[in-house]
Amino acid sequence: MAAKKTKIKNRDNLAAYLMLSPFLLFFALFVLYPLIKNFYYSFTNYNLGNKTDWAGLKNYKELFTDHWFLEAMKNTAVYAVFSVIFLTVLGLFISVLLNSRSKLVKVARTAMIIPYATSMVAVSMIWLYLLDPTTGYINKLLVELGVSNPPNWLGELDLALPSLIFINVWKNLGYCMIIYLAGLQNIPPELYEAATVDGAGFLQKHLKITLPQIAPVTFFVFVNNCIEAFKTFEQVQIMTQGGPVTATTTVVHQIYLRAFNDFRMGYAAAMSVVLFLVIFAVTLLNFRAFKSSADGDDA
Amino acid sequence: MGEKIFRIVSGLIALIVVLVVAFPFVVMLSISLQSRAELFSTSASLIPEKWMFSNYVEAFKSANWGRYFLNSFVITAVVTVVSLVINSMAGYVFARIRFRFSKVLFLVILAGMMIPPQVTMIPVFSMLRGFPLVNGNDILGNGGSGLINTYAGMILPFIAGSFGVFLCRQYYVGFPRELDDAATVDGCGRVRAFFRIYLPLSKPVLASLGVLKFTGTWNEYTWPLIMARSDSMKTVQVALTLFRNESEIRWNLMMAATIMISLAVYIVFGCAQKHFVNGILAGSIKG
Repeated sequence: MAAKKTKIKNRDNLAAYLMLSPFLLFFALFVLYPLIKNFYYSFTNYNLGNKTDWAGLKNYKELFTDHWFLEAMKNTAVYAVFSVIFLTVLGLFISVLLNSRSKLVKVARTAMIIPYATSMVAVSMIWLYLLDPTTGYINKLLVELGVSNPPNWLGELDLALPSLIFINVWKNLGYCMIIYLAGLQNIPPELYEAATVDGAGFLQKHLKITLPQIAPVTFFVFVNNCIEAFKTFEQVQIMTQGGPVTATTTVVHQIYLRAFNDFRMGYAAAMSVVLFLVIFAVTLLNFRAFKSSADGDDA
Repeated sequence: MGEKIFRIVSGLIALIVVLVVAFPFVVMLSISLQSRAELFSTSASLIPEKWMFSNYVEAFKSANWGRYFLNSFVITAVVTVVSLVINSMAGYVFARIRFRFSKVLFLVILAGMMIPPQVTMIPVFSMLRGFPLVNGNDILGNGGSGLINTYAGMILPFIAGSFGVFLCRQYYVGFPRELDDAATVDGCGRVRAFFRIYLPLSKPVLASLGVLKFTGTWNEYTWPLIMARSDSMKTVQVALTLFRNESEIRWNLMMAATIMISLAVYIVFGCAQKHFVNGILAGSIKG
């Protein structure tokens, strides 16, 4: 009997490794190994050539004096903060209002997901047209409404980054709503019924019940949008190329330029490490908050 | 009283939200049907004077679009199908078979979800470039361009996705244990049990994962931008940006092309909206 069990166990192990091996191969080759290799590159002057020399901390030291990179860090942070605030707060607000079963609301929800399903390239093209200073639709409308000198949205120093933030919020609001609405559906209706019996009004119910109940979901939306914002690249590359001057360049945009325009792979790898550490920290925060909220439930 | 006001307000807000979200798409559709003259006029009317359906034909003929669509379809199809097979097998193993290090390994794979592809793109690029014995490379991977500018170079990095493994594992964990017992009694090994019993019951999870993989790969821009060195290897997303580089941008053709390249995703989305939403939600409970 025991012998048979071991036999099955061995057979199971074999089957397990057999069925896992294709995934593990790809995972090791395209996720783990490159991650380690990237750390290594960040300490070298690798430039795609045959000779790679150890550079120690030189790349990291250069980061702190690199005007472009510092601007990119600042822009990315501003972009992340404002995107996250709008998406988290506006997303929740609209979701609470749309949390009903009427037909119109269903149409609204479907409509909201379409920008999210559309590629960032397509979205960039649409907004590139809408925001074009002369032929663009928004400025045509403004002129028709009597504005004599409508702004050059993506071409002005203080308007370019806010425009990109707006587009990001417009694109991803639907994604936040899907997650919020699922969370709202999970709040037991008894809580609201009891509150109604106690004479609580609309605002009170949502402040005292919805907000605390939805907190873990809010946190997830917050963290996820944060991470996505730190990865911003496509709209920058397509719409503004980081300009005007340095107004919209982001960290990933800098990585792309240094690595694939200048072929300074080692230096770009150091930027990637910084990006990784930031995202890693945000994710850890996520895990910790989840852990503490779970502990809170036990207590 | 409060409830009634709430209903009216929420209806109004729903309407405004739909209008704000839909407005850019309406403009896109309208512009794609306008003539050049109308486009550069000052009129802000959204109803084209003359419906220029020929814009779509002209946009398609403006560059090698047949080829770009073929490229996108090949890459998206291979990534979707192969990753579904590989991810579901791995998910099954983690859900059903206990083996040495299975827990640690699963944690490592979960942690893999935290690693953004932007962080690994430099080593992946240099690895693909140094792939031995292809496109002029010697056995050590020197001398040629390796897998740069090939389908393989655009497909391989997207096969490994921790998220798919996680999604499938969560799904298979919910299967009753009796399924395995029945399979063992019938003399089915683990591999056969997976293909005979589990896989045929996996339609919902594979549909969710498939829709997400399809849209994600079809919409991908950064990696094909880095990989495609010749015009004939461009994907639709990379090719669309060609319109932006013209000295006088033909917005009407650009909008027509934008609609055309987005159609694939809208069709999938229209057919499988539920699965799309389920996939997003499954991803959101991972924390």
